[in-house]
Amino acid sequence: MQVINLWAKDGYLSTPDGNSIYFWGFSSTADGPSQIPGPHLIMRQGEPVTINLTNTLPEPVSLLFPGQPGITSAGQPVQPQYIDNKLVSFTNYARPGETISYTFTPARPGTFLYESGTNPPRQVPMGLYGGIVVRPADYNPAVRRYKTAYGAETGTEFDREYLLITGEIKPELHRAVEQGKPYSFKNYKPRYWMLNGRCAPDTMLMDNVVYLPHQPYGAMIMAQPGERVLIRYIGAGIAHHPLHPHGNHTRVIGLDGYLLRNGSTDLSYKRFTVLVGAGQTYDQIYQWEGLGYTPDNPIPTILPNLRNMGIGEPGWTLWSGSPYLGVKGDVPKGVTSFNEMGEYYFMLHSHEEPQITNWGEFPGGMMTMIAIYPSLSPTVGELK
Amino acid sequence: MAVVKKRLGATDGFIRMPDGTSHYIFGFVDITGVPEEAVFMYRGKANLLAPLLEVYEGDEIYLTLTNLGLPGRPDLDDTHTIHWHGFPNQIPLWDGVPEASLSVPVGRDFTYYYEPLAPGTYMYHCHFEPVEHIQMGMVGPLVVRPQLEKEQQRKFAYNDISTQFDREAIVFLTELDARPHYLVANVQGFDWTEYAPRYWLLNGRSYPDTIKPADDPSLPYQPYSSLIHAYAGERVLLRFVNLGYEQHSIQILGIPLHIIGQDAQLLRGYYDEDLSYHKSTVYIGAGQTTDAIFRAPRAGKYPLYNRDLHKNTVAGKFFGGMVTEVTVLPAP
Ligand SMILES: [Cu+2]
Ligand SMILES: [Cu+2]
Repeated sequence: MQVINLWAKDGYLSTPDGNSIYFWGFSSTADGPSQIPGPHLIMRQGEPVTINLTNTLPEPVSLLFPGQPGITSAGQPVQPQYIDNKLVSFTNYARPGETISYTFTPARPGTFLYESGTNPPRQVPMGLYGGIVVRPADYNPAVRRYKTAYGAETGTEFDREYLLITGEIKPELHRAVEQGKPYSFKNYKPRYWMLNGRCAPDTMLMDNVVYLPHQPYGAMIMAQPGERVLIRYIGAGIAHHPLHPHGNHTRVIGLDGYLLRNGSTDLSYKRFTVLVGAGQTYDQIYQWEGLGYTPDNPIPTILPNLRNMGIGEPGWTLWSGSPYLGVKGDVPKGVTSFNEMGEYYFMLHSHEEPQITNWGEFPGGMMTMIAIYPSLSPTVGELK
Repeated sequence: MAVVKKRLGATDGFIRMPDGTSHYIFGFVDITGVPEEAVFMYRGKANLLAPLLEVYEGDEIYLTLTNLGLPGRPDLDDTHTIHWHGFPNQIPLWDGVPEASLSVPVGRDFTYYYEPLAPGTYMYHCHFEPVEHIQMGMVGPLVVRPQLEKEQQRKFAYNDISTQFDREAIVFLTELDARPHYLVANVQGFDWTEYAPRYWLLNGRSYPDTIKPADDPSLPYQPYSSLIHAYAGERVLLRFVNLGYEQHSIQILGIPLHIIGQDAQLLRGYYDEDLSYHKSTVYIGAGQTTDAIFRAPRAGKYPLYNRDLHKNTVAGKFFGGMVTEVTVLPAP
């Protein structure tokens, strides 16, 4: 039996504009930092799993596993909880200082969410959420046929995979919770929008950077041309977000952990913008092939004198200075290029454009990049 | 394979709403073929929407962007770009994301190159500080026509005979929050998390301007009509584009829609299954497109409007905003 331990704790998350915001999150160790989103939970179809949740927060906390069947706690099916006939929790909870266990057997592969079921309008936006990946029963990453999202013969083979978990921050809610004050949910107006608990440009940093101890997950997608990149969107906030990757369509292959197939009829589809609704998940394959421009097959326009052009943002660029993949050109003096080896960067962002700001200031928010490298270690894009 | 050369100027200007208000915008203007010494006369003449870009699958497109500057904000030296939204397989140089390539300063040109690989309904916009520049009006429609049209000498949305149509119209959805337009004109900042539009536009106009003809002299910089004409029995293709920052819910009273494409993809499965469907409402998120065909019913007027009914207003007053008419005439 797989056993996962989680601790519900508080902490402070950082925004790129210098704010520090009180939040509630999960940790995978008793003395580790709380994190947003919580640890990725990776399971296997058909194998039972027990999740022990220890609550160190000042009010009851619980876990919901939407889409998972037959959840039990202490041998009994979980139940909504009432006090004086008033609903207080969608499921059994742990009081402050207590531990509660949940057991279930994931019935089908796919992408799912876990989140607090107690006082959810407050606790979920506070950060008590995370992503679940259920591997198909025949999953074997060493054999291409069996490195799939939904099992062999489902057309869902992939080379690399990434989770992108959306969330929003309304600072007033976080301040009220920190100060133990009541909060009214009318006019819920977020000021920050996050991918994997970070706002751009922090989304483009690597995993586990030391100065973001509570936000360990990066959101940069890295791949080589032609690779099948499995991108799993999870809508963990309470708003809906139209996520738009540049460079190509994505092929949506699964919704809420259901393969888009009806018998032999394939129901997958390609989109350039996917509206990620609250609580929903999308499994999709992104593939970038390129137009084949190389120095031997030159671009049919002339690169202008770059001193006459705007390069990047003032002071920096992700561009190589060359039109060709894997070729580095010169960028004008005074511009710092973060380009490593002539890789290409394509933006992936919410097309509700105010969401790509940090409290109104562009650039920021729900934005990251898809980086296409001429070559890349096979361990990049391994989900841990 | 035709070689298409176009040139767009990026500049500013003013648009009008039916309540008599005028709003400062940024935008594009078509300067294809304009002699170099006359190009400066297009400063301050931005159009909402930007010029329709219509190309064929397989064409080679050279699109020159000239930054004409912002005469209404001479202090502002913003660069601009062109981003073909949803367009597959671009190298970053043609993608218009300044953080990942280059942008065009005032007085400069850059020529983008595109090779449309797949037909469908797309959109284009500036990607420099996109929160501001898209809302300010640097948005336009982009249609890639299928090879099948050239082969058959008839009109098709995709390379599939089921997508044949007789007429087409673009239904381009945007919103306008007057406050950032005012603040940008007056050299002040705006907190974009306060975005709350009070004008809702079809093809850059608000009803009743939407039903005025194309190139109406009262709307010199809003050239697109949204009045849709057809003869009974004709097949009409509507290309819905949402380049606002909200979701929209469009209905046509009395006319069911056959949804045949979304995001520039024919609704076919991986193994060519027919995934098209019928619907009365086009529910569309920011940055999405939908292609719908209807068979024009008997003669009459059929209102097209946003079922988010507060968007049928002009600054709070009925009727206005995202409202227009489909006028069906008796078959000739
Ligand atoms: Cu611009
Ligand atoms: Cu776009």
